[in-house]
Amino acid sequence: MNALADILFGGLFQGSLYAMMAVGLALVWTTIGVFNFSHGVLMMLGAYFAWQLVDWGLTAALAFPIAVLLMAGVGWVLQATVVRPLIGRANLVLVVVITTLAAGSLIENGVLELWGPRSKQIPPLVAGNAMLGGVGVSLHQIAIIVVTPIILLALWLFLNRTRLGLALRAVAQNEDAARLVGLNVTMLYGLAFAIAASLAALAGIFLGGYRFMTPVMGADPLLKALIVVVFGGISSISGPIFAAYLIGFFEAICSYYFGLYWTPALLFAALILTLMIKPEGIFASRSRGLA
Amino acid sequence: MSVIETSAPTVSAPPRAPGRTPWMTELAGALVGLLVLALLPLVVGDAYGRHVLIMVFIYAVVASNWDLSLGYGGVFNFGHLALFGIGVYAYSLLTKLAMIDPWVALVASGVIAVVAAVVVTIPILRLKGIYIILVTFGFAQLVMQVILSQSDYTGGTQGIVRIPGLYWFDHNMVRDAKFAYFYIALAMLALSTLFLRVFVRSRTGKSVVALRDNEEYAVSRGVSLVRQRMITLAASAFFTGIAGAFYAAYQRNASVEVFGMSLATIVLSMVLLGGTGTIYGAIIASFVLTVFAESMADFGAWRPMITAVLIIVVMLVYPGGIVGMLKALWGLATRRRA
Repeated sequence: MNALADILFGGLFQGSLYAMMAVGLALVWTTIGVFNFSHGVLMMLGAYFAWQLVDWGLTAALAFPIAVLLMAGVGWVLQATVVRPLIGRANLVLVVVITTLAAGSLIENGVLELWGPRSKQIPPLVAGNAMLGGVGVSLHQIAIIVVTPIILLALWLFLNRTRLGLALRAVAQNEDAARLVGLNVTMLYGLAFAIAASLAALAGIFLGGYRFMTPVMGADPLLKALIVVVFGGISSISGPIFAAYLIGFFEAICSYYFGLYWTPALLFAALILTLMIKPEGIFASRSRGLA
Repeated sequence: MSVIETSAPTVSAPPRAPGRTPWMTELAGALVGLLVLALLPLVVGDAYGRHVLIMVFIYAVVASNWDLSLGYGGVFNFGHLALFGIGVYAYSLLTKLAMIDPWVALVASGVIAVVAAVVVTIPILRLKGIYIILVTFGFAQLVMQVILSQSDYTGGTQGIVRIPGLYWFDHNMVRDAKFAYFYIALAMLALSTLFLRVFVRSRTGKSVVALRDNEEYAVSRGVSLVRQRMITLAASAFFTGIAGAFYAAYQRNASVEVFGMSLATIVLSMVLLGGTGTIYGAIIASFVLTVFAESMADFGAWRPMITAVLIIVVMLVYPGGIVGMLKALWGLATRRRA
């Protein structure tokens, strides 16, 4: 019972964090067709914004939404400066990788300069601890497990039920046709980046309430999000969400039975196997071309 | 800096048609460039200046080899710096734990990097574009994780210190302002560049470019995608591994920082700033970027930020890179004369 609760809880918790990160990457990829390598840095910046607002005396309930909104603005600006001007280049994917990496380095060093290297912590969503099936867990983690599916569901409803969301998906499916029917593609690009940055900020706030924050805290979640999108396929939003939970459970099982050291190696082996059998990802049906 | 002008004519061959410049012309240009570099210690006498040049040579080897897989092969190998890091750690462990002769370890590190490149190529054989980026990026992170977790041997986050350096008979390597290390680094760069240029001008090199430009046609003409991709990545790994080993021998310490994003960003920007598919472009950009970064040493923490802004600006304003710019200037100059 104890083992099962451990794995179940660990899997759900890690899966929630991975899903929050991976969905933003997938959203940008499906709409713009580029990969945002500063996604991990955006997550870190969101957490630092939240910390700064709390430090100025705001309550968490006020600080966190403001930080998320601020990050939407950062996402928009990032898109307008290092992505949009490059649209149409032959080697767009590669060039955007380098410009987002550089922008990430700029932000990371800026944070280091502004807030210093000392690790910080932001207040948890819900304070306190609880016993669950014989495992001691913090309420903060439980809150993340509960809140994440709600946010993802809201995102799904937005993408499938609202005009704006449908417009975003139209751009993802056929940019030229979307432009022909009068959609403002430039604005939608900005929107995709803004939403992605907000989701990254949320993930950062989740993580910052649970672990200490450093300017390099985004690197590992970015890597995990990359693995998730490779697993789930980046051509849809739902694929990476399923894959995130799948990998969360995979990691929980691996680290329970084989120890923490073997987990990355096993994960990578599974990744290679997936790519050799189904390069477009486990949950992908159609694909935005494998290029 | 005069090396830039002397090698400009040779790099003016369009990358899409390798071998258009007669090889005698290119060889002459390369030799002049090498001679200029070999005479640099006459001008740069202090240890610090030579240290900067040695770092330029290391970067140039790594960047130009990356240009082979990225620019010629069209394979977005984001694990290239991991091959460099593997060279660093292979040399460190071979010399420090296995007590192998430094020169033997240097070459062995290159071989180990080639083996690693073959291993990482297997999963990406069927993949394209962004998927290759994701897998190779994951590979680099995995290598770092393994090194961090095996702290009994690798020192984990502490890294390895007091790595045996290279030797040259009885010569004291740190004497005469790093005279010996300068020429070993230069020899490494010269051999690497010779290897790369011979490779890209060979039939194999042309078939690699053909695969990049029109895969279906090249495959239908009997070029094996699997074989050529394997060869390209293995070829780009050897001198990268050696550069890593040399870096470890020269710095005499190793840390996982070589796997970090900042180093990868800088070297990748050298490849892209120089202009892909040229080999020489990456070398020239290594010069420009390293000297630029060193000249801003006073800015301290602001330096990486200024470098990042510079990279973004150049990528936005000048997509063809430095070689593209030189080519345009050269075209302008020759037209005026005619």
